Amino acid sequence: MSVTTQNLPQLYRFCFLMTGDASKAQEAFQNTVREAALRVARDEPPPDRLWFFRDARRRCLAVCEQGLQAEPGTMEETEISPVGPMQIEQLEPDQLAVWISAAPEPQRSALSLFYLDEFSLREMLALLEVKAGELSELISSGRQQFQAWLDATTPYHQE
Amino acid sequence: MSIFQIRPNYSSLARCAPITEKPGTDRAMRVAIQRARAGKKAAPFALQQAFDGAIAKLVRAIPVDAQVAELFANESLIPLVKQPWKKILLNPVVLAIALAIAVIGGVFAHRVYQRWNDFPGADKARRLLSVASSTRSVMLDPLKTDAGALSDLFFMKHRLEHYDIPPEFADFKTLGSRVFDDDEVRGVAQIWVVEKRMQLFLFPAEKNPKDGSVTDFSDWRFVELEGWTGAVQQRNGVCFMAALRGREKDLAPYLEKKKQ
Repeated sequence: MSVTTQNLPQLYRFCFLMTGDASKAQEAFQNTVREAALRVARDEPPPDRLWFFRDARRRCLAVCEQGLQAEPGTMEETEISPVGPMQIEQLEPDQLAVWISAAPEPQRSALSLFYLDEFSLREMLALLEVKAGELSELISSGRQQFQAWLDATTPYHQE
Repeated sequence: MSIFQIRPNYSSLARCAPITEKPGTDRAMRVAIQRARAGKKAAPFALQQAFDGAIAKLVRAIPVDAQVAELFANESLIPLVKQPWKKILLNPVVLAIALAIAVIGGVFAHRVYQRWNDFPGADKARRLLSVASSTRSVMLDPLKTDAGALSDLFFMKHRLEHYDIPPEFADFKTLGSRVFDDDEVRGVAQIWVVEKRMQLFLFPAEKNPKDGSVTDFSDWRFVELEGWTGAVQQRNGVCFMAALRGREKDLAPYLEKKKQ
């Protein structure tokens, strides 16, 4: 599959989820795209679209290391609630991005790639360099931690 | 090799099932989704999918900076890179297909070549080669004489006319002979000779189905079947075949003997 401008919004969203900050996301995104353009000019175009996300991920992690870091610790986990989807509907994209960007690596990257709904499992495993079982665990625990966070911050009241 | 283990953990896979159906999903993942939808955990799986779908919807709502979007709106970053033909050729799948086609083509060409050089009665001759390969000496009536002398026996005892042994094989000493009717070939005379355990066959020539005529040929024509080779000649409406286990070159010295 070739990379076209159609993939760029998704690349930007990935950067936004990874950094949780529009300016940082824009910086990582633009640097990645610039690097790709330079490669094209040198007649060494990026081999596939995964390259973009791999490069952006590296840049996002580097950008995030410069700012404040989330303190390591265990997050509370709760089973997914039937009202979970409704709780999510009450959120703004920024809130989701801030939550995901605070997750430790490689869970942050796993959740960002997974919820872009862009990649096959095989592609995600290639990007993250983890095994299928590990990815499953990262996403599953992320889901439950997010539910716990939702319950704490965005309670749902049925009207 | 698959990205999954030899026996995939389907419940683990279902926990990272794709949010929307995508073409090219791995078989193991498809099975995992199917099981999750049909099993006891159908309800939690449906809830998981709804939860993931809601998050994905929120992700799609992330606004893309207009400046950023405009910057590359009309630019294709990567031209469609065509796979070099060498890489395509070295692909194991392509190699396997090419090899299979070559083998099938080779067999087909061999069959065509074989049929092209076939003569009337070649099928009968092949049939008798299979008879030769399965014949045991006890099946024949013991008879020690010159092969050439059997023509009279065939005529007088079995009324088989023109069952003559060609001069190339007439001097061969016999071990036994018999006359039998095969399912497909009737009036077959079979002679076992001492020389290289060779077997000689005489049988009616194939008639032209249109006019019932028989076209004789005095040159030697060959048939092969499962390691056996037969040299066939047709005279006076009767086919003669000398058969032995081996190849055409093993029969050649006997066929050239008389010419010298």
